[in-house]
Amino acid sequence: VAKLDIPQGTLELMILTILAREPMHGYGLSQKLASLSRDNFHVNPGSLFPSLYRLEQDGKLKAEWRPSENNRNAKFYRLTPSGRRQLEHHRQRWDRIAFAIASVLEGA
Amino acid sequence: MTLLHRLGSVLGWLFHRKRAEQGLDDELQAFIDMSAAEKVRDGLPPAHARRLAILELGGVEQAKERVRTYRHGGRLDELGRDVRYAFRLFVRNPAFTVIIVLTLALGIGANTAIFSIIDSLLLRALPVKEPGRLAIVTSTGQSSWTYPIWEEIQEQADIFDGAFAWSTYNSRFNLTPGGEAQFVNGMWASASMFSTLGVAPVLGRTFTPADDLRGGGPNGPAAVISYGFWQRHFGGAPDVIGRTLSLERVPFTIIGVTPADFFGLDVGRAFDVAIPFGVEPLVRGLAESRLDGRTSWWIWVMVRLKPGQTVEHGTTVFRGLQAQIREATLPAGQTATELEDYLKEPFTLAQAATGRSSLRSQYQRPLTVMMVVVALVLLIACANIANLLLARATARGHEWSVRLALGASRGRLARQLLTESLLSAVMGAAAGLLVADWGSHLLLRQLSSESVSLELVFDWRVLAFTAAITGVTALVFGVAPALRATRGAPIDALKDHGRGNAGTGRLSVGNSLVVTQVVLSLVLVVAAGLFLRTFSSLASVSLGFESDRVLLIEINAQRTQIPLEARVATFEQVRQRVLAVPGVVSAGVSVIAPVSGAVWSRRVEVSGSTIVRSERSTGPEGFGRTDARIPEDEPLAVFNAIGPGWLSTYGTALLAGRDIVERDGRTAPRVALVNQAFARKFLSGASPIGQTVRTLRLNAPAARNIVGLVADAVYRDVRDPVLPTVYVPLAQYDGDATPVAPPEVTLSVRTTSPSPATLTRSVSAAIAGINPNLALTFRPLADQVNDTLIQEHLLAMLSASFGVLALLMAAVGLYGVTSYAVSLRRTEIGIRMALGATRGAVLRLVLGRVSTLVAIGIAVGLAVSVWASRFVTTLLHGIEPSDPVTLASSAAALALVGVAAGWLPAYRASRLEPTKVLSDI
Repeated sequence: VAKLDIPQGTLELMILTILAREPMHGYGLSQKLASLSRDNFHVNPGSLFPSLYRLEQDGKLKAEWRPSENNRNAKFYRLTPSGRRQLEHHRQRWDRIAFAIASVLEGA
Repeated sequence: MTLLHRLGSVLGWLFHRKRAEQGLDDELQAFIDMSAAEKVRDGLPPAHARRLAILELGGVEQAKERVRTYRHGGRLDELGRDVRYAFRLFVRNPAFTVIIVLTLALGIGANTAIFSIIDSLLLRALPVKEPGRLAIVTSTGQSSWTYPIWEEIQEQADIFDGAFAWSTYNSRFNLTPGGEAQFVNGMWASASMFSTLGVAPVLGRTFTPADDLRGGGPNGPAAVISYGFWQRHFGGAPDVIGRTLSLERVPFTIIGVTPADFFGLDVGRAFDVAIPFGVEPLVRGLAESRLDGRTSWWIWVMVRLKPGQTVEHGTTVFRGLQAQIREATLPAGQTATELEDYLKEPFTLAQAATGRSSLRSQYQRPLTVMMVVVALVLLIACANIANLLLARATARGHEWSVRLALGASRGRLARQLLTESLLSAVMGAAAGLLVADWGSHLLLRQLSSESVSLELVFDWRVLAFTAAITGVTALVFGVAPALRATRGAPIDALKDHGRGNAGTGRLSVGNSLVVTQVVLSLVLVVAAGLFLRTFSSLASVSLGFESDRVLLIEINAQRTQIPLEARVATFEQVRQRVLAVPGVVSAGVSVIAPVSGAVWSRRVEVSGSTIVRSERSTGPEGFGRTDARIPEDEPLAVFNAIGPGWLSTYGTALLAGRDIVERDGRTAPRVALVNQAFARKFLSGASPIGQTVRTLRLNAPAARNIVGLVADAVYRDVRDPVLPTVYVPLAQYDGDATPVAPPEVTLSVRTTSPSPATLTRSVSAAIAGINPNLALTFRPLADQVNDTLIQEHLLAMLSASFGVLALLMAAVGLYGVTSYAVSLRRTEIGIRMALGATRGAVLRLVLGRVSTLVAIGIAVGLAVSVWASRFVTTLLHGIEPSDPVTLASSAAALALVGVAAGWLPAYRASRLEPTKVLSDI
């Protein structure tokens, strides 16, 4: 089954959601995204990393280097308070969009 | 995100760029490691797993590149790298860089320089309060007035927001009491001038009506000096107010200093000292004062319109007072027709926000022509840059493919090219700035040997405009082809390299650029040819006198105590004394110096003449400087009053009769000499000797007997046809301003020295021995003659240099496009040669294409030149605008340059080794 591309603008929301639960490194994040989407999403690291860097630059994420589960040094990202607010905001917006789309589809 | 955050990020990038790069590397490496480890766990061999992991990442370099562009400061980083890379490229290919930058510099610089001059001379508003409300009072074709008329206008000044008068006529004031004069630029001003203009002094005060009283104010004559003169002459001394300044041996008290940007009202002539009209009788002497002269037209009048008042409305209001003003100032000694004309001539106001300038009418057309020429140069420069960049874009096609393959995005490449183009434009503009600054000042110095003082304000708008045009050219032709080259997949471009089957679209763009270049270059070369031929024809005009080895000495007797009646005798004494100076061959005095621009013209009645007398003249009549044409069909002749020895000093031949001798004194029978042109005009070429000539004026003096015929000589200007000239003895001078003797004469001295100026000191000493108060000005006659040709010389020089430049650029363009065409057709040429084409045939093949381009260019260029040359007709002399010789030789020059430029690539093509070319396929 062909994988789906992640819809425009939703990658950040998913990253923030996953990292809200626990800090994670880039590879872990990509694996988690794939498994949570039941392998429907193809996560391209070429767009994952730029998003991570941008969120870090904007102060939504904070990163630190520490050993991973298999003792390899990796860069772990976690949410900052500002990131949490951003997630809240994104989440509300997404809920509205989803509700609106569902309403249109049912009403048609 | 807060601003602070962003700033921190940029700063962080600046300081920790290395560390950030390292961190990114490590992180991506970790990703690959972990991904590979998992794949190994799933049972893949380690090497394969790793390769798969990298592929998933989408290439390490591409991923990095994408992260970088997201990072703040990353843009700056890229810009820095682009600029550095562009610089490296420039350094690696200096010839290319130099050509581009020079082309840009000349295009930008020349345009800015010429426009700066045009702007200062023609366009810029006076630095006064609300210049838009200033209007100058004019009449049919002229704008000078008599002082009595100004006095009448002054009475009515309240119909406007003020009025004022000024004059620069005869206002070079001598600062020294005697001997060789040291002149300052003076200006006569009415009391209301500064206040009406709204020019406030930086020091002291300006004139009040009391200063302008006849004979000077209650505290004696007052002067306002300019900021420049204050700095130059007084070293900017703060206590300059109240000091005394000697002008024409009259002591003036300095009462004020004007602001630095106020140069007066005459663009191109900055004033040093302004003095009120009222003191004129003190300076010129009561006998020669013009204040009450109702026929002395020497002042200009401006009014300040009321707010919201238009020039038309102002004119209507002003004309209501016309009859009153004219009636009150009727000149004496005029015929009824002349008085009728005087009363009828209507006053008209003209917009005067830019001041007035005698330079304007003289230089407007040549400057406009130069502006067109440099604009063409700019166009050619753009075409040239476009051509060069097109050629280079082709050469770099491979580089783009490689960079694309290595992970550069298309936008990234576009930015790189943009940076390169902008960098060239910036360097070109910087160099252009230098060219413009240097060029405009050089040009100004060349324009006139008289001190033209123009405040050249650098015109940033033009600089920006020309830089923008060239920048956009560089952009369009530098970026577009490269982007087109990279449109396909990188792998295609890589494969393509060296095969030579690229589309021909780019070639046709190049071809049309080259044809355009040839057309424009031909136009410039034709212009250069026309101006060069004009100059050489003027320079070889027969003057009718020998201008070498003659020194002109202007002698002004106005400020001496010598009585009017004794002046001519003094001049003769001076001449005798100068004749005794070693190195002097001969000397003669005259009222008019040839080619000085001065004219003394009168309507005359000649006995036995067929030309009917006329009541009025459409040509100039009087004494002064004018460019007006002397009409052929009116009985106008020009005059000169000469002393003994004058004709022989000039080497002008006496053809019949006798020369003027000392015997021809004031009381002796009145005589005159005339030239051949006079005999032709008035007597159909018959001998004038024995005929009489009389000036046509009311109360005109008695007729003169014509006693000699002299050869034709240039009187005012080498461009004039020889004017019918009457020479009268100086002792029998009867000019009407000062009927007995002129205030100023020119002593012409023929010397044995090829540089007559070396005699200045000894001649000066000899004259001081007669009277130390005579004011003297020295000038070699040859300089005076050459000066009249400055404009033509300048046009010829400039257009010739630009013409050569255009030819060079056309050659570069042709060379570029031909080389490019040859590189595209390498394979084809190789096959042709393999099939038996001779080297000669290949040469003909390539040259044939070049010739076609050049031929098209020349054909179009000739048509454009013939059309455009009509606009320069008035600047040409002795040559038709569509002069076949010029057109043909210009076309030949271009054809030659074209073939020469095409020869090298054609020759190279003919030397191709077919085996080598074919093995490349």
